[in-house]
Amino acid sequence: MAQIVLDKASVELAIYNSRGRALKSEILRRTVGGGLQDDRDRSVQVVRALSEVSFEACDGDRIGLIGGNGAGKTTLLRVLSRVYPPTSGHARITGRISSLIDLSMGMDNDATGYDNIEMRGIMLGLDRKQAQALIPDIEDFSELGEFLSLPIRTYSSGMMLRLAFAVSTAVHPDILILDEVIGVGDAAFAEKAERRLHSMIEKASIMFLASHDNNTIRRFCNRTLWMKGGRLAMDGTPDEVLSAYAADLAT
Amino acid sequence: MWWMLAKNDVVRRYRRSRLGQLWLTLSMAVMIFGMGAVYSSLFGSSLADYMPHLGTGLVLWGLISSAINESCSSFTENESIIRQISLPRFTYLMRTLARNLLVFVHNLVILPVVYLVTGSPVDWCILLFFPGLLLVLANLAWIGYLLAILSARFRDIPQIVQSIVQVAFFVSPVVFKPSQLRVDHPVLILNPFASMLNVMSAPLLGQMPSLISYLFLLVLLVFGWLLSLAFAGKFSHRVVYWL
Repeated sequence: MAQIVLDKASVELAIYNSRGRALKSEILRRTVGGGLQDDRDRSVQVVRALSEVSFEACDGDRIGLIGGNGAGKTTLLRVLSRVYPPTSGHARITGRISSLIDLSMGMDNDATGYDNIEMRGIMLGLDRKQAQALIPDIEDFSELGEFLSLPIRTYSSGMMLRLAFAVSTAVHPDILILDEVIGVGDAAFAEKAERRLHSMIEKASIMFLASHDNNTIRRFCNRTLWMKGGRLAMDGTPDEVLSAYAADLAT
Repeated sequence: MWWMLAKNDVVRRYRRSRLGQLWLTLSMAVMIFGMGAVYSSLFGSSLADYMPHLGTGLVLWGLISSAINESCSSFTENESIIRQISLPRFTYLMRTLARNLLVFVHNLVILPVVYLVTGSPVDWCILLFFPGLLLVLANLAWIGYLLAILSARFRDIPQIVQSIVQVAFFVSPVVFKPSQLRVDHPVLILNPFASMLNVMSAPLLGQMPSLISYLFLLVLLVFGWLLSLAFAGKFSHRVVYWL
């Protein structure tokens, strides 16, 4: 079953400017030495985006993530989706992950809707047959009909979102990672999308949801983590954490 | 998976043109016949003698050079996928290599035409082409892996590599024939590209590749992979932070 253990996981991001990205200046720096180095030249800056975060999550956890911008929510989500290996500490994550941070990941504008469904399925680890088996469900849900055999560059942004959403939610993962609950399309479709998202959340073993909306957190989550300056400030029930967060914001 | 992605890459590139994938073949054919006409008179050799050599060389060089150049961007062009899901890093490199192999197969179609027109002899040696190709691909894979990681960190690597490949083209026996140089000329012995060309092109032209080329590529393969794996072990998990 799905399980997540983070033990003092930290992530340090090196931010390079164009100079730090060039081999030429790296060679100069190493060979010529510090003498030429200008103090104002900060070609590499290190940002500690996540700092010694430890927690465990197991089956049934619906975890909300709150915190201001730049508090490390997205970085934490990336660690959880196994994209960022912690630069120190450990992260042990077992189970199939699906993250809905960027819905249109890997979509190819010149390929048809059907091709894109297949490609995405394959990227999610299905084989060709399994990927093709997703098609009826997506056809039915996205209501795009014959548009699916057109290249997706001809789609309106609403249609594109429908397709991306339908594809991203067609596979049920053990661990589901969401960055804000996504609203898609017109009123009728939005309602349908929400129902689909609910069933996906229900079927997932562990769910993470980063959100700025307290009601969303209260509605979907049974546990909440509060991130502050890259650290885990508080871990508890949504009500406890949200009120502590509100109190902190007020001061 | 990488095979699917690569196939899609090739199809996509030419989806909106009427001739589709034929463009790949056509442009290569034009180049071979154009350069063949000019250089054969320049070198004072007969067209029937020179054309098969040049054609084979250009098609094979196309595979080697574009595989090396494009593997630099294996990770950077897949940034959006790498930042969202975790797949083995090598998958992305395989995508690049498979894509180039597909383009290569398209170009390969020209060669029988060239051989037929010029009456170049073809015999059982041609079967040696396949182990040769495999050996070259395995070498290109480690070179590409190394370059892909380096290019993620240092964004000027692709340009540097491009100029090196450009230079390599002129010192490798593509346009000129090896027989136009002394056999022990360092350009033929020390240049890995010369060996790569040799193990693939000699069989196609009805000759035996030289044993030295095979040995050289095998040694390169072993040491190259050791280097590449050691390097990847140290840095590949950091690639995502560099993107």
